Amino acid sequence: MDKVLSNKKMIALYVLPSLLLILAIVYIPIVLTAYYGLHEWNGIGAMKFVGLDNYQELLKDETFWKSAWHSFMLAIFSGVSLILYLIVAIVLAARIKGANIFRKIYLIPMLLSSVAIAQLWLKIFHPSNGVLNSVLESIGFENPPAWLAEPSIVLYALFVPILWQYAGFYILIYYAALKNIPASLEEAAKIDGASAWQVAWRIKLPLVMEVFKVTIVLAVVGSLKYFDLIFVMTDGGPNGSSEVMASYMYHQAFRAYDFGYGSAIGFFLLVICLIATWLIRKLTASKDTIQYS
Amino acid sequence: MTTIDAGRPLAGMARRRTGVGRSLGMVLLYAVLIIVAAVQLFPLVWLLFFSLKNNQEVFNLPPLSLPMNPRWENYEKVWSAGNIDVYFLNSVWITIVATALTVVLASLVTYAVTRMRWKGSKFVLGLFMVAMMIPVHSTLIPLFSLFNDTGLINHPLALILSYVAFNMPITIMILLGFYYALPREVEEAAIIDGCSVNRMYFRIVFPMTASVLATTAIINMIYNWNEFIFVNTFISSDAYKTLTVGVQNFIGQYTTDWGAIGATLMISILPILITFLVLSDRIVEGIAAGSVKG
Amino acid sequence: MLLTLSLAVVVAGCGSNNGNNGNAASNAPSSEGATESQGTVDTGGEKVTVNFMHLWPEGVSAGQNKIVNQIIDSYQTEHPNVTIKQEVLDNEQYKSKLKVLSASNQLPDVGVTWAAGFLQPYVEGNLFTPVDDLLSGELNGKFVAGTTEAYAINGKTYALPLEFNIAPVYYNKAIFEKNNLEIPQTYEQFKTVVKTLSDAGVAPIALGNKDRWTGSLWYMYLADRIAGQATLAGAINGSSSFTDEGLMKAATEVQSLVDVNAFVKGFNGLSNEEAKSEFLNGKAAMYMMGTWELPNFTTNEDIPQEFRDSVGFFKFPTVDGGKGDINSWVGGPGVGLFVSENSKVKDEAKKFVEYFVTKWGEQSVTGAGVIPATKVDTSALELPQLYIDLFNEMNKASSITLFADVQMQASAAETHLNMIQALFGKAATPAKFAEEHDAAIAK
Repeated sequence: MDKVLSNKKMIALYVLPSLLLILAIVYIPIVLTAYYGLHEWNGIGAMKFVGLDNYQELLKDETFWKSAWHSFMLAIFSGVSLILYLIVAIVLAARIKGANIFRKIYLIPMLLSSVAIAQLWLKIFHPSNGVLNSVLESIGFENPPAWLAEPSIVLYALFVPILWQYAGFYILIYYAALKNIPASLEEAAKIDGASAWQVAWRIKLPLVMEVFKVTIVLAVVGSLKYFDLIFVMTDGGPNGSSEVMASYMYHQAFRAYDFGYGSAIGFFLLVICLIATWLIRKLTASKDTIQYS
Repeated sequence: MTTIDAGRPLAGMARRRTGVGRSLGMVLLYAVLIIVAAVQLFPLVWLLFFSLKNNQEVFNLPPLSLPMNPRWENYEKVWSAGNIDVYFLNSVWITIVATALTVVLASLVTYAVTRMRWKGSKFVLGLFMVAMMIPVHSTLIPLFSLFNDTGLINHPLALILSYVAFNMPITIMILLGFYYALPREVEEAAIIDGCSVNRMYFRIVFPMTASVLATTAIINMIYNWNEFIFVNTFISSDAYKTLTVGVQNFIGQYTTDWGAIGATLMISILPILITFLVLSDRIVEGIAAGSVKG
Repeated sequence: MLLTLSLAVVVAGCGSNNGNNGNAASNAPSSEGATESQGTVDTGGEKVTVNFMHLWPEGVSAGQNKIVNQIIDSYQTEHPNVTIKQEVLDNEQYKSKLKVLSASNQLPDVGVTWAAGFLQPYVEGNLFTPVDDLLSGELNGKFVAGTTEAYAINGKTYALPLEFNIAPVYYNKAIFEKNNLEIPQTYEQFKTVVKTLSDAGVAPIALGNKDRWTGSLWYMYLADRIAGQATLAGAINGSSSFTDEGLMKAATEVQSLVDVNAFVKGFNGLSNEEAKSEFLNGKAAMYMMGTWELPNFTTNEDIPQEFRDSVGFFKFPTVDGGKGDINSWVGGPGVGLFVSENSKVKDEAKKFVEYFVTKWGEQSVTGAGVIPATKVDTSALELPQLYIDLFNEMNKASSITLFADVQMQASAAETHLNMIQALFGKAATPAKFAEEHDAAIAK
C-alpha cells in the first residue's frame, strides 16, 4: 500500500503541473508585490528603494488600522454566520418534501454578479425611497437612518449583503458534505432508534467538521481580502468608515498613485491572512482524523 | 391485561401529541423555508423588472414595481450593441475550459496531498493555500508584464491560466475536507486487487467524490462567468472579451444606462442559471453513484 | 452675431507643479524631432496601425461614440494606409488599465487623459509626448484661451483638451414658482431659499457626495466667493494656507448648510447618479453640476419634456463682504487626448489627434451635447437656449478655477476628497480640514 501511494512519479504527475502554474501566475505577483513594497514607486516612473519605510509608515497609519479592524470585524461576522449556513444546509439535506426545490432557490443569489447585487442593495438601502426605509416608515418609524451615509452604521449595513452574497457558497459546500455521508450509515443509525436530530448531531456533524474547519479558513481569508461590494456601494466611505484593507490598498495604489505603499499593504494583508490561517488551523486541529468506518 | 389496557390510551395520546407537535413544527419549518425562498427569489424578479425600466423609472419607482410600459427595447438595445454574440461565446468556452481544468487539476493535487504519502506534502499544500491570500489588485501589474513578456497579452490563454491559477487554491481547500474523510478501506481493497494509483483515482476516488466535484464546478463556473477585472486588464481586442464587459458598454463618461445594464445582466445570468440547475442535480446523483460503490 | 468664444481664462495653479508657471505653448522648441518628420510619413505606402483607447462606449455614450467612429472612418478614408484600432472601457476601468499599462510601458498610441494632477505622473515618467508642435500648427488659435494650459507641465503641453465645462447651479423653475422663490443673488438670499424649501418639505439640493468631487464643487464656490479666487488658487498650489480666514469660513459655511438640511437625506452615501435622479424626478429643487449634464435638461428624450422645460440655472451667489466675483466659475477642460512617448507611430498618432480634435470641435455640441475646448461658432448652430445662455456666461467669465481634485497631485487630491466627505459629514472640523489639506499639499 505504502509503495503504491508514495510513488514519486505519480505524485509529481499529479502535483507538478498545478504547482508550476501557481508558482508562475500567483507567486510571481506575490514576490513582486513584496518587492514593490520596499520601494517608493508611483507605478509609472523610476522606483526608489526605501527598505522597510513603507511598512514603518503602515504600522503608524491610523487609516490602515481602522480598515484592518473593519476587515477583522467582517471576518468575525462571516465566521459566526457559518453556523447559520450549516443549519440551513442540514435542513435542506433532510429528507423533507420539496428540499430539492428549496435548495435550488436558496442558491440563486450566489449566481448574481457583484454588479447586480450592489445595485439591488443600493435600492434597498436608499435613504428616502429605499425598500428598507419605506417599510420602516410604513410601520411608524420616523426618520429612519441613511444606512450608507451614517459612519456608525454603514459597515454593518454592508455586512448584510456581503454575508448574504456568500451564504449560497457555504450552504452548497455543507450540503455536499452532508450528502456525501453514505446513506447506509444514516440508515444504520435510524434503525438503532436515533431521531433525525440525533442523526444530525451525532453522525453528520462530526463528519462535517472536517469540511467546516476548512470553510472557517475560507471565510476568514475571504473576508480579510474582501473588496467587491464595498468598492461599488460606498467606495470605503463616508470618510473611511467602511474602508477595508483591500479597498485601502486599491485607493493607495490606483487612486493616490502610491503603488509602493499599496503593494506594502497588499503584502501585509497576505501576511495577516497567513497568520489568521495558521491560528485557525492550530485552534481547530484535532488528532483524530474522522473517517468512515 | 388491565394494566395493558390502561396503558394503551396513554401511549396513544402521547403518540398523538408528538404527532401534533411534529406537524406544527413542520408547518413552522415550511413557513420559514418559504419566506426565505421568497427572499432568495426576490433578486431575480427584481433584476427582471429592473431590466424593463429606463433610468427615470429605475430611480423613481419602487424596486418591485413594473413600469407602465415595460421597456423590452432594453434587450433589443443590448442585443444590437455590437459584439454581444462574440462576448457570449467567449464567456461560454473560457468558463468551461477554465472550470474543467481547475476542477481536474485541483482534485489531482488534493488527492496527492491527502491520500498519498510523501515528504513535503504539507509544504506543498501550504504553498497552494498562501496563493489565495493575495488581493487581486496587487497582481494586475505583475501579471500584465508577465503576460506581456510571454506574448500572452490579449490572448484568451492569459484569462484561462489566471482563472485556473487563482481559483485552484480555493477549489483545493473545498476538496480537502472531503478527501481527508474518504474511507481508507476503499483504497486498501483496491490496492490489494492490484490497482494502480491512476486507476484508483479515476475509477474509485473520482466517482466517489463526484458530488463535491460538481460543487466546486458550480463555484468555479460562477466565479469565471462573472469575472471582469482580468478581462479588462489583459484583453484589449473585442474578439476575446467576455460578457461581463457588455455591462461596461452602458457605463458612460457622465451617465449610465441602468435599464440596459439590467438587461445585460439578465441575459448573462440565464445560461449560468440553467447550468446551475443541471449541475445542482449532479450533486445528488453523484452521491447516489458514490454510495453504491461505498 | 458671431458668438465665438475667446476667454481670458485663469486656470488656477495650472500644471499644479510648484514653481511651474509655464503657459509657453509655442516657445518650447520641440526637441523630439517631431517637426522634421512632420508631414513626411503620409506617403501612403507603409501600413500603420494606431491604437486608440477611449471611454465612450456605444451603448450609452451613443453621441460621442458615433462621432468617434465617424472621425475614424473619414480619417482612414483619407489615409488609406492607417488603421485606427479602438479599445473602449468605462471610466473606472479605463483609469485602472491606464495605470497597469503605464507600469509595463504599454500605453496605447493615443488615449484619453485628464488634466493637471492626473497627467503629472505620466509626464514625469516620460510616458506622454509633448504636443506643442500641434498647437503651433493647424490648431493654432483654435482652442479657447486657457484650456490647453491645464495640460501643460514645465512649459510643455502634453495633451489636447476635448471638453470645456463650467458648473452652474441648476434649479427647478416649477418648484421655485410653487414656493414663490426667486433666483438668489446673494448668499443670504440663497440661504433663505434653502430654508423655505426645507420648511416646505422639499429637498433643497441634490448632492451625491459618495463621489466626493461633487461636494468639492460646493466648497470651491464658497471658498471662491468668500476668500476670493486668488486665495483659493494659492492654497491649492501650496503657496498659501487653507487656514486662511476666508477659506476657514467657507468650510464652516459648508457645515452650516448641512445643519439646515440643505442637501438631500443621506447625501454622503449617495452617488452622483442617485442624487441626480432626485433632481430629475423633481424631488430636489437644485443641483450643481458641470455643463456636461446639459443634454439631460435639453435634448434627452428619456426625460419628460415638462421637466426639461422647467430647468434653469443660476450663478453661485456672492457672499456679503466676500472677495469673490459672481462671474468667477469652477470648471475647466475635461478629458483630453495624449500621444504616447514610446509610440512607434508617434507622428501618425499626432496627426490623428490633430484631425480628431478639429473634427470633434465641429461636431461635439450638436452630435453629443458636449462643449468642446475648441472655439465654437454658436451662430452657425441650432442650439437649445440653455446652451446659448451658458456659452454667453463662459464668455463673460472673469476666471475659471479648475476642479480642485483635478488640480492637485493624486495623493493630495485623495486627501482633499476624503476631507470633503468628512467635512460634509461633520466628521472633521474646519480647522482639521485646513490642517490636513496643508499637510497633504506640502508633502
